[in-house]
This record gives sequence, structure tokens and C-alpha cells, in this order.
Amino acid sequence: MPDIHQSVPKIDAKEKISGRMTYVADMRYDDMLYAKTVRSSQAHARIRSVRVPTLPEGYHVVDHRDIPGKNVVKMIFDDWPVFASDTVHHVGEPIMLVVGPDKRIVQTLVDAIVIDYEPLNPTFSMTDSVVNYHYDKGDPASAFKAADTTVAYDYETGYQEQAYIEPQGFIGTYDDERIHLIGSIQAPYYVKNAVIDTMACDPDAIRVVQATVGGAFGGKEEFPSLMGCQLAVALNKIKRPIKLIYEREEDMDVTTKRHPSKTRIEGAIKEGRITALRIHIGIDGGAFIGLSGVVLSRAIIAATSAYTVDNLDVSGDVYKTNTVPNGAFRGFGAPQMIYAVEMFFHHVAKHLNVDVHDFRLKHLAKQGNHTSTSGLFRDPILMPEMIERACAMSDYHTKRKAYANPEVYKGIGMSWFLHGCGFTGSGEAEHIKAKIKLEKLPDGLVYLRVAAVDMGQGAKTTLMKVAAKTLDLPLERIRYENPDTDLVPDSGPTVASRTAMVVGGLVARAATKLKKTWIDDEHQVIHEQYVQPDYVRWNQDTFTGDAYPAYSWGVNVVEVEVDKTTLEVEVKHIWSTYDVGQSLDDNIVLGQADGGTAQGVAYGYLEVMRHREGKLLHKNMTDYVIPTAVDMAKTTTELYNNPFALGPYGAKGAGELTLVGGAPAVALAIEMAIGKRVHAIPATPEYLMEVLHHAND
Amino acid sequence: MPTINFTLNGKPVSLNTDPTRRFLDVLREELTLTGPKEGCGEGECGACAVLIDGHITNSCILPLGNVSGREVMTIEGYRETKRYRVLEEAYIAEGAVQCGICIPGMIIASESLLAHNPHPTDDDIRIGLSGNLCRCTGYNMIVRAVKRAATRGKGLW
Amino acid sequence: MVSHVIPKTYAEALTVLKAGNHRVIAGGTDMMVRHRAWAGLPPLFDKPVLFAFTLSELKYVKEDEQVICIGAMTDLETLLHHERTPALLRQVIAIMASPAIRYVSTLAGNIVNASPAADSLLALYALDAQVVLESTSGKRILSIEKTIVGPGKTVLHDDEMVAEIRIPKTRFTHTMFRKVGGRRADAITKIGFVGCATVNEGIIRDLRLVFNAVAPVVVREKSVEALHVGHSVKNVLSDTDTLMHHYSEHIKPIDDQRSNQHYRKEAALRLARHFLDTLA
Ligand SMILES: Cc1cc2nc3c(=O)[nH]c(=O)nc-3n(C[C@H](O)[C@H](O)[C@H](O)COP(=O)(O)OP(=O)(O)OC[C@H]3O[C@@H](n4cnc5c(N)ncnc54)[C@H](O)[C@@H]3O)c2cc1C
Ligand code: FES
Ligand code: FES
Repeated sequence: MPDIHQSVPKIDAKEKISGRMTYVADMRYDDMLYAKTVRSSQAHARIRSVRVPTLPEGYHVVDHRDIPGKNVVKMIFDDWPVFASDTVHHVGEPIMLVVGPDKRIVQTLVDAIVIDYEPLNPTFSMTDSVVNYHYDKGDPASAFKAADTTVAYDYETGYQEQAYIEPQGFIGTYDDERIHLIGSIQAPYYVKNAVIDTMACDPDAIRVVQATVGGAFGGKEEFPSLMGCQLAVALNKIKRPIKLIYEREEDMDVTTKRHPSKTRIEGAIKEGRITALRIHIGIDGGAFIGLSGVVLSRAIIAATSAYTVDNLDVSGDVYKTNTVPNGAFRGFGAPQMIYAVEMFFHHVAKHLNVDVHDFRLKHLAKQGNHTSTSGLFRDPILMPEMIERACAMSDYHTKRKAYANPEVYKGIGMSWFLHGCGFTGSGEAEHIKAKIKLEKLPDGLVYLRVAAVDMGQGAKTTLMKVAAKTLDLPLERIRYENPDTDLVPDSGPTVASRTAMVVGGLVARAATKLKKTWIDDEHQVIHEQYVQPDYVRWNQDTFTGDAYPAYSWGVNVVEVEVDKTTLEVEVKHIWSTYDVGQSLDDNIVLGQADGGTAQGVAYGYLEVMRHREGKLLHKNMTDYVIPTAVDMAKTTTELYNNPFALGPYGAKGAGELTLVGGAPAVALAIEMAIGKRVHAIPATPEYLMEVLHHAND
Repeated sequence: MPTINFTLNGKPVSLNTDPTRRFLDVLREELTLTGPKEGCGEGECGACAVLIDGHITNSCILPLGNVSGREVMTIEGYRETKRYRVLEEAYIAEGAVQCGICIPGMIIASESLLAHNPHPTDDDIRIGLSGNLCRCTGYNMIVRAVKRAATRGKGLW
Repeated sequence: MVSHVIPKTYAEALTVLKAGNHRVIAGGTDMMVRHRAWAGLPPLFDKPVLFAFTLSELKYVKEDEQVICIGAMTDLETLLHHERTPALLRQVIAIMASPAIRYVSTLAGNIVNASPAADSLLALYALDAQVVLESTSGKRILSIEKTIVGPGKTVLHDDEMVAEIRIPKTRFTHTMFRKVGGRRADAITKIGFVGCATVNEGIIRDLRLVFNAVAPVVVREKSVEALHVGHSVKNVLSDTDTLMHHYSEHIKPIDDQRSNQHYRKEAALRLARHFLDTLA
């Protein structure tokens, strides 16, 4: 096999292009029923009564009373009910399912259900903290005392919707006292484990199979557990196949989004350097905590992004509000923080009247430095080269001089960033404990038994390449089917940029073992389990130690032109350099880069979602605007090779890294173009108009 | 109910059903053609695109009645053509496919574009695909794939 | 029970409409979205539907010396490429929706839908377009301003349909069209502007300023325009504030999910100013 990074045709491309690939919405059973969710119209209220009309034969309602086990969706923090029972906490909260064979009648029943609410006081402001984390590095108090000067700025970010093109959905059957769920999901075992708790049943009674996923981006990490539990309850009650597919508006209205955030950063400056930072980030968790605490920890750990600052006082809160719960989205808290930090470094340099580029370089993290959480950057950091290359490709320095002229309304912005690969801290070792299986059949075909989901990011192709190369077999001899919990062990959810590095690492190890023990014509099974590298130490209570075993690094340069009259932003070009360790397939990594940057940049200037009194205002693809081919700029991307000893062939994570730097890069470019500071994203024309009128520099 | 006649992937079809039904539902449910996908149901994303008389149309907001007398081609019919082979090769070679949910629609958009403009510039391609949303790829690889197909498929369009 | 009709001829269509019980559907790109039901179920129309889009009699672009006549069922993509389509209208259509929508949507639909943000209306108002309404009892020809009376409201009678759109041929020395949407393609307008002018030896001979998405209906103030015709560009430019002040009264945008009042108003006035600057 040639070098691993050389691209091969993606394993599932032909099926997808030809329209033959089956997604969950394409599946059907003969005696199938349809489910529709009855939802809260109130942001916060007590349910006084629910009046259900007489149900025709064959029609059912399913609600909290039908739950055999716990009325809570098992996630990281278990506070999310499967069905609301006596109180609703956000508009769109599920109260019951109506299930039946004819959609028309199901809809009529849904419309006829009358819910009597007693309104309660809703909270929409970020005031009610439900999770609070704090950590220190060095001695921030002394550094602040010794400072020549201190500077503080505030930053805000808005919602972002994953906007996968395939809405969420499940189809389920009940056979032989077993519940069988097929869904568009990122984490088959999250769903299975959640359903077990809700059903209070034997683990063997639940089978979860991943259907081909039409985009996820974090949106199908924890939310499907909710749908899976609801459907399981319905299947248990009705015992016929049921299909539960969201429509676009429903999906946008009720599924998790990226947390809006508010960050305040205060810097202590001494002799032209930032000697300490005091940072507080607040994120809006919505009505239930779910994964928000974990999102918050990634956010606060990203506090210094690609820089090293010796003294830190970092804290954060998850606030509960009566709005749609927020959750996982590619980047997982890091985009909010990295946006704020990148802007802050620029704003401080401006305030000090020093060259921004030199100022940032002074603070750039180096191998051997301590991370934000006092861990160690053990591996080589290629950022100086990567930055220089990105500057050269984009002609950054010439342009930034030229665009300093306020008349040209052009700007160029650059962001530097890192992304920790894998679960935060001891998550891999303590919570996930990933297991995989490599199964060789007598005919010589090798099956990857992993729970990792290919949601377009190419997990199948890359992991199969790893196995093929290690086994020295042609790719055709490797098989990787959509995970089925009856067949695959729990290799963990497909999240946190962990699949290539962690699951891929296990595949490589298992393949090495299989190769060594290979016996022709025999059925062989190799098991592997994750072992934490022994140097990784993490204290979750104090947030100290190595938060991640490895980091991927990146540089984005974005050039924009702003219309003088209307302040519309046009992104002209995006240049990037990335260190993802070793690329396992160049086309795939470049595809992640393009897609991630598109999302990241759009987060910074284009994608707007707001709510009014808990009701989302942008809940379809017309109102929630994502980039079209015309909006997306051309990209030039270069990959740097920096193999990580424990990743397969040196691979680290690539999935999220490519998103996290987009927003600050575009915001900085816009800032240059209009000559005013940008403190909030998305930096829409509406916001810029306000900034032009009110801000002074 | 008026009877509605049209050609579907080269074969005549005659249906006796509510003409206000979404053509996408008729295709997916009545005729079990699931190549066209539903991404938004409001004409915004192009996942449900089909060719009507050779032009791209979003079947999720197309009433069946408007198909009366027209020639319809879905991805299921189109994949049997030579032009499709060229596009397929190009999409694979350029790495243009990720989750794939938008891709059948993108192929239809690519065909409609190339049929009307066999030598598109990059900008023409972007405009031609502007009604087809893709959340995975950031479009550049798709644009390159269409360009590649235009170059390699000389004479086919 | 009255039911949906797919007429074979235009005459049949008018006859069906006569009882006033049917709603015309053209491309359906507005109607199918507005009335959509749960996926898999037919849309919820308030009346049986008359399918007009397949009427080939209404698909044409004709012209005589003074006027371009567009058959009501001509799709926008055809208009976009038709050499008879006025350049300004073509510019507007070019960034309406996407190819997939343009192939199956119509000017008539855009007019009767009467959205304050409808794009083609900018050009139609600027070009003094006329709408031909027809029923079995005859034709009415109305100016576009008289046709649309409010958001989603027109003066069409239940038995009438739009048969044709007529656009007088007009030449200008200056035109400008700008659409501000949420993104650069396939976007609903936040605010749109068309300016047309003829300037001759420094004197403004014709001036038309049209705004959409800033009021319940498209804004074109002929009386304000008339105040400036006959004046020198210099004169007008020396006091654009007065002109803007006039428009200020008519530009009363709303806050919604797409934009806000402040931006809409400011952007609209900035665009108008910018257009006037180009006259110099
Ligand atoms: C994804 C998408 C993007 C869009 N983008 C834009 C855009 O950028 N700019 C824009 O302005 N619009 C846009 N629209 C709206 C829509 O496409 C236009 O308004 C289009 O011109 C409507 O034409 P139609 O033929 O589809 O109308 P239909 O939906 O068929 O009809 C609209 C209304 O007009 C009536 N009607 C139609 N024809 C006649 C007739 N001959 N006589 C009497 N009544 C009639 C119907 O009864 C209905 O009330 C978009 C729509 C979608 C779905
Ligand atoms: S599903 Fe038809 S355009 Fe999105
Ligand atoms: S490949 Fe996933 S939406 Fe296009």
C-alpha cells in the first residue's frame, strides 16, 4: 500500500452519489406506524391537565406514564426528562408522542390535544448558574498586583445551529421482546445505555444500529438519546414498527445548538507582555444541563488557545435558562473561548500600540511550556513555520499594511489555535474505556468491529486504510459496517476528534497483533482496549494536569471586503495551515478543513439565531442562513506532518480543529476593514452598522 | 381526481392521486424512489432535486399537478447515463462526498448546469449550485468536481 | 364537491375560475411552502387549486415598439436569459432564489404573493409595469402600484387571474440595483433598492427610486421624484438631506428575524444616497 496520506476513493462514495445509500428516512416496514411529538408551547409552566381526544382504533399516545424505568435521558448530567411530566421548561419540550398508521389522523389528533398550562416565571438571562468551574495557573493575584497596567474587554457569541442537511430520525421495531432502534446517530452506545435506563431492562433487550448519517457535527451526539428513549417507550407499549423523523422546522426548533456565550477577559500587562489573565466565560445551557458542563470544561481549558500565559485565573458557569437545551457542536466550547482570546490579544496589542503580530508571537506556546492547566506541551510545536507559511501564502503582511487605509474597506485577519484531541482529562480512561474488536473470517475478510460512526468525515475509509496498511492487505479485504451494538463493542462515541487518534490507534494495535498471529482459513478475533498513556495525569477537581494527550494546531487567514454602503461582508479567500499529526488521507483531511472552516467562518459573520421569550426566530433553512457555494470563499490549505507517537501512523484529531479558528479570523478581518473593534459575533451588517455609529475605535 | 401523466426516467407514468401532493412524496412513497432526499421541505436545500424537462427543480415544493405532461428524471434514471459516469468519477476523484445527503441533489444540479452551460467558469458553477446546500464540504471540492467533469466529459454536454 | 383542476387551455382555466372557488397556483414556490403540512401529507389549501403553470398559452415574451409583454406563466429562468427582458429586470431575477426555484416560478406569482420583500417588484415598480388581469368577463389593466395594496394583498377578484405583465420600454442613463440578503445567493431580501435616472447635460430628466422590505408595500414616491426632475444633479446633490428626509417618512421598516428597523432604514437611505452620488 502506498503512503497512508495518499487519497483513495472513499469507501461509500459511489453508493452516496448514485442515491443508492439508505438513510433512516428511506427505510420502511410494511405495518409501520408514524410518531409525532406533542410539545410545550410555553417556556416555563406547570401542566394542569392534558386532554386527549378519544383515540381511534390503532392510535396511541405515549407519555411519561409509559416509561418503565427512569424518566431521564442518561447523558453526562442526568437532568433531561424523556417526556415532560408536570412542568415544562422550554418551548418545544416533548410531552408525548402520538402514534398511528395514517399520518393525517395522527396530525389531527396532535392538533386536537389540549394542554392547560399554569404559567411560571421563565428565565432568559444568564443569571442562574448550575455548573461552576474554576482553576488557577501560577499566581495570578501577584501578577495582577505587579502589573504595569490592566486591560479588560467583553466578548459575546451567539447560537449556532449544526444544520446537518439530514434532520434527526429513528425507525424502530419490536421483535422477540427486544427493542431494535435504527437511527441517524453519532454515538450508538450513548443511545443504548440511555434506553436501558429508561426501560429499566436487560442490556441485551436493546439493539441500536446506526443508519448512514447525513451530517451530524455534534448535533447527533446526545440529542438522539432523547429520541431513542421516547421511541423505545413507544415500541414497548405498541409493539409495532414506528418511524420518528423530524422535519426541518421541528429539528431546528428543539434540537441542541452551540451555546451562546459571554466572556470577560482581564489581562495584566508588564513590560509589554501579558503576565496574567483573569477570564470568565458564561454559557447559556438552556433548560437542561445535559452535556453543558463538559462543553464548559473544554471552553475554559482553551483559555489561552495557542499562547502561553504563566498566570491564570479561569472560571466559567453554565446558566440555566428556559430555552432550548444547548449541547455538542463541533469544537465543543472551544470556538467561543478561542474567539474571545484571539480578539483579546489583538485588542490588547492595539491598546498598547504595538505591532499585533510581534505581540502575539511573543506569547506563542512552545514545546516544553506549561498548558493552561499546568500540563506540558510535550510534542514539537510547528506553529512558527505554519504561521510564516500562512503569512506568505496570503501575503498577509503586505495586505495588512495596505488595508490599514480606512478608505479601502478590506481586511485580513489571522487566527492561531489548537484543539485538544480526545476526551478532556481522564474521560477516555475513566468514562469511555474504549474497546474494539478485529474479526477475521475464514475467507480472509477482516471486519472492524468498532462503534465509530462515519457521518461523512471519512471514518470508515481512514480506519480501513489503517487496518489494511498494518495488515498489508488490499483495502477490499477490510470490512466496516455501520455499527450495530449486537456486533461491535463500545469504542466510544464519535466525538471530540477522537476517532482517528484513539479508535484508529486501537485498530492499528489490533491489526499488528492479528498480523503476528495470522493463521489462514481460521476465524480469529482480536480485542483491544484503550490504555491511558502513563504520562497523562489529570485532576478533574482542580483542573490541573494534561487535559489532552495531544494537540492539533492550526492557522487561518481570512480576507474580506466590506461593502461601504450596506456593510455586507464578502469573504474573498481563506488560507490555512494545519498540523493534524499525520494525515490518514489527504482528500479527507482537506475535506474536513474546507467544511470546518466554512462553518467556523460563517459562525463569525453569517449565521444568526436568536430567540424571543424562548421562541426561536430562525427555525428553518430560509431564516437560518448557512453559506451557499457562492458565499464560501476559495481555500488554500497546507498540511504539516508532525506525527504523534501514540496515534495510528502518527495521526491526531482533525475534525474540530478546522472549525475553531474561523470566527476570530473573519472577525479580525472585518475589524480591519471597518476600523472598529468587533466584540460580538456573528458580525452581521446590522451589528457593524451599530458599531460604526457607537464605538469609538 | 384528474389523471396525471408524465414520463419518469424514460417510462410513462399515469397516476390517479391528489395533484396537490408534493412530488417528492409521490416519488419516495408511491414510486419508492428514495434517491431524492428531504432536507428542508421548503425549496431551500436542493436535496430533493430532480430534472424536469432537463431543468433542476426542487420536488419538495413541486405539486404533482405541475408535472403533468413533463419529462422527469431522478437520480435513479440519471445514474444510468454516460454523463453520470463522468460526474461520478469527478466527485470521487476530487473528494467531494462527505455525508452524502446533499450529493444526489448536487449531481442533478451539476447536470442541469452543464446541460445549459458546458464550459462554466468557477463563478458559474457556484451560482449553478447555489440552491443546493451542503454543510459538510464547504463546496470547494464539489466545484472542482464539476469543473473536472466539464473538462473530461468533452462533447457529452 | 369542487376539486382541483388541471386545465388544458387558458379559456378553460378562466371558465373554472368563474365561480370564484379556485385558487390559481403557478410554480407553487410560494404556495406550496406557505401551506405545507407534515411531510408526506398534501398541503393544506383553503380552496381547490387551479393548476396554471402548464398553460403554454401563457408562456411568452412579446414586444411591440413601446411595450414588452410577458405571459403570466413564463418562468423566471426563461426571463433571465430572454433577450427581450429589460436589463434591469434581468439583473433582479439573476439573484432571485436559485436555479431550481427560477425554473418553476413566475413574475405573476411574485406579484400576487405581494410580499414586501419580493424582488421582481423593485424592477416592476421602477419600470412602471402594468398587470393585465383577466376573467371571463374581460380584462383589466392596472399599474403595479394599483395591483398591490398590502402585504399579501392585491385587488384581484376571485374569478380573475394575471394574464400578462406589460413593461414599457424605457431607457435610462443610470441604473442601480442592490439586494441585501442574509447571504450572497438564494436569500430573502432584508432590504432592496433600485435607482433609475436619466441625466442630460447635468439635468435630471427622470428619476425613480424604489425600495423593498422597508414598508408594508414596495416604496416608490413619484411625487418626491417629481420634485427633483428638471433640477441639476449638482443642486440635488448639494442637499440630499432634504431628499432623504422625504423618504424617511415612507421608509418604515420592521424588526424581524432577518434584520432590524435601524439597519434597514439606514442601509436603504445609504443606498439611495450612493445612487445619487453616481449621477454626478
Ligand atoms: C427557496 C426559495 C427562495 C426564494 N427566493 C426568492 C427571492 O430571492 N426573491 C423573491 O422575490 N422571492 C423568492 N421566493 C419566493 C417565490 O419563489 C417567488 O415569489 C415566485 O415568484 C413565486 O412564483 P410562483 O409561480 O412559484 O408562485 P405561486 O406559489 O404559484 O403563487 C404565489 C401566489 O400568486 C398567486 N398566483 C400565481 N400566479 C397567478 C396568476 N397568474 N393569477 C393570479 N394569481 C396567481 C397564487 O395564487 C399565490 O397566491 C423564494 C421561494 C423559495 C421557495
Ligand atoms: S428538501 Fe426540497 S429543497 Fe430542501
Ligand atoms: S456531503 Fe454532507 S451535506 Fe453535503
